Amino acid sequence: MSDVPFKNPGWAGNTGEFDLTEEEVRGDDFVGTRPLHGGHASGAGTMPFMLPETNPDAKLFEGEYQERFDKILTRYPDKQAALLPTLALTQELRGYVSAASMDRVAELLGLSPAYVRGVTTFYTMYNKRPVGRHLVQVCTNISCSLCGADDVVEAFLRYTDTELGETSEDGNFTVIEAECLAACGFPTCVQINSRYYENVTPSEVPKIVEHLKAQTDGDS
Amino acid sequence: MPVTLTIDGQEVTVPKGTTILEAAKTIGQQVPHYCYHPGMSSPAMCRLCLVEVEGAPKPMPSCVTTVMDGQVVHTQSEEATASRKAVLEFYLVNHPLDCPICDMSGECSLQDYVHEEGRDSGRSREPKRVFGRDDFGGDVLFYGDRCVMCTRCVRFMSEVEQDTRLTVVDRGNRSVIDTFFEEGLDGTNWHGNIVDICPVGALVSKDFLHKARAWDLEHTPSICTSCSQGCNIDLHTRDNLVQRLKPRENLDVNGWWMCDHGRENYEWINQGTRIEAPLVRDGNGGSKAVDWKEVLGALLEQANGAGAVKAVASPLASNEDLGALKALVEALGGGETVYRSARAEEEIVLKGFPSLARRKDLSANTTGAELMGLERAGADDATGGLADVAGHDGVLVVLGDALEDQPADFGKNAALYVFLGSHESEASANASFVLPVTTFAEQEGTFTNVAGRVQRFWPGLQAPGMARPPWLILGALVAELTEADLPRTAADAFAALASAVPAFSGLTYDDIGTRGALVNEPVQLSGD
Repeated sequence: MSDVPFKNPGWAGNTGEFDLTEEEVRGDDFVGTRPLHGGHASGAGTMPFMLPETNPDAKLFEGEYQERFDKILTRYPDKQAALLPTLALTQELRGYVSAASMDRVAELLGLSPAYVRGVTTFYTMYNKRPVGRHLVQVCTNISCSLCGADDVVEAFLRYTDTELGETSEDGNFTVIEAECLAACGFPTCVQINSRYYENVTPSEVPKIVEHLKAQTDGDS
Repeated sequence: MPVTLTIDGQEVTVPKGTTILEAAKTIGQQVPHYCYHPGMSSPAMCRLCLVEVEGAPKPMPSCVTTVMDGQVVHTQSEEATASRKAVLEFYLVNHPLDCPICDMSGECSLQDYVHEEGRDSGRSREPKRVFGRDDFGGDVLFYGDRCVMCTRCVRFMSEVEQDTRLTVVDRGNRSVIDTFFEEGLDGTNWHGNIVDICPVGALVSKDFLHKARAWDLEHTPSICTSCSQGCNIDLHTRDNLVQRLKPRENLDVNGWWMCDHGRENYEWINQGTRIEAPLVRDGNGGSKAVDWKEVLGALLEQANGAGAVKAVASPLASNEDLGALKALVEALGGGETVYRSARAEEEIVLKGFPSLARRKDLSANTTGAELMGLERAGADDATGGLADVAGHDGVLVVLGDALEDQPADFGKNAALYVFLGSHESEASANASFVLPVTTFAEQEGTFTNVAGRVQRFWPGLQAPGMARPPWLILGALVAELTEADLPRTAADAFAALASAVPAFSGLTYDDIGTRGALVNEPVQLSGD
């Protein structure tokens, strides 16, 4: 992936420790693909930002997703405990967790819809509204903020032509602020879908946006 | 195993497992708290019950810290009060301080605690976050800005009512109590309790909204009349009107709770269509108001040799009233007495407190009536069943039953028809004597609940005009007809009842007190 048009010093070079090439680190091998057999017990592999293409009307659940849901259930002592991975699976499938999705999940797990709503709204990583194909989360917590995260947010908003928390007209971008992304050594950190972009400065933002647009155009 | 500890310099011995907050209560030391409620779990999230425990590295939440032998606790030390003062300051950061228009004002624990322990002024200069109001359906209105996030309401719905309709939505300072979008609380039967347990004015009753200020209300201990559970309540009255009903704690009967059905059923007490003076019919459709002496004299004169007695009593009448009616029927030569009571198809049980339910019997004193040998008549909607009473040609006595379903000629053939009622009623048209009586809210007395518990209630309202308690009117008649003494107080009337009915023998008003006492025989209701 040498065609990435911006520098990303988050890549420290191959230290030999993990024996990974830059290609492997920047490539898609470590993001986005989730083993179909179920993966980690928490369902962590279902991290929803990894799939930009979603279907808000998808059925909860059927086919492969039904199998994964059944698998999740077997891993917890009761159905209530399976709520978080089930919501993650829902978001992976539908792109966000709507009121109707919460109601359906409550029905599936034998919980009250109000309880499911409480849990869903507690966690910021569940999208309560539809988001763009690229969910841009700019860390504005202390380290990034000191290094100019606010300007980065502003730059993203300008080049994607959207408001904070809104989705751009072409449906490509949603820009939100995030609390600490645990990359305080490389501020400003921006998470776009599953990928971290580290040491981002406002001047790099147009290149990143163009890169993402090119990806989307290539897909469609 | 008892544990002995020292709280504020005073030695306290309590059972093992008691929390410091409850132990402090036993010596009269009230530690401020929001999230703690004796009827529910304590999440220790309000941080307002912090106390200093010697040896502990930091202030401890007393609602979940259990006592230990030899522990030394200070609830009023500098560390304890300073911690609570700091917590209270945070509570006011987003609180709108709209006490002048808040229904809770005057009975709000945020007001009380800030007044006792809080800072005299806040230091926050940030704008306050604003949520506005939300209609939760049922009788509940939610003012999000006033909420202190104690989650008592959420826990009541999930732990006690066990219908998790409420939840905390969002997180951090955007947290707000809500239902599942538009679902609301409609269809739940106990949601009025969340208004009671809300420590601030966040959850208020729509029925009571802006009706009265808390400090204008008189509180009178009473018993709910809406079913035979006999929930202990307080009548909150102002201007001689009942403004609302609130549950009164009694762990043997209703805990801290009461149902919405009972809570909403008080308007009938306030109805203005009262009978205010004893009326004597002149036989031509007209009637004349006379004084008590005259009306009782005339009544006794007519009763002489008027024939067999049939009586209809309301199961909303107290034990004393029913006992006096029974004595009168016997004094007049004996007869049969029936009562009619509405019955619901099902009990509505409060799942988290299963000894409490909205019972099938929708009157307060059906058990008392049964114990006195009255017979149930009529259908489950309290109609019918009086076919042979309506045309009875002897003495007919009606106590409290409005007879709404009865034909216009009810009691026309009776030699003597006495109607004792609190409210005007069509069915009294043929009565030769119409005697005004008090409602339960205007007199002292007792009800017997479904479990056979005799419970006292006290008068909270002034009776209108010349209305008197039925036990006094009937007791006066009995005293004239027999050797019996005139009952001068409700306690006298109860004593007369206790000597006449075995189930009540040995009980006195002193025994019953404010918590009630069980009757002597096991209770089996007809029809159950």
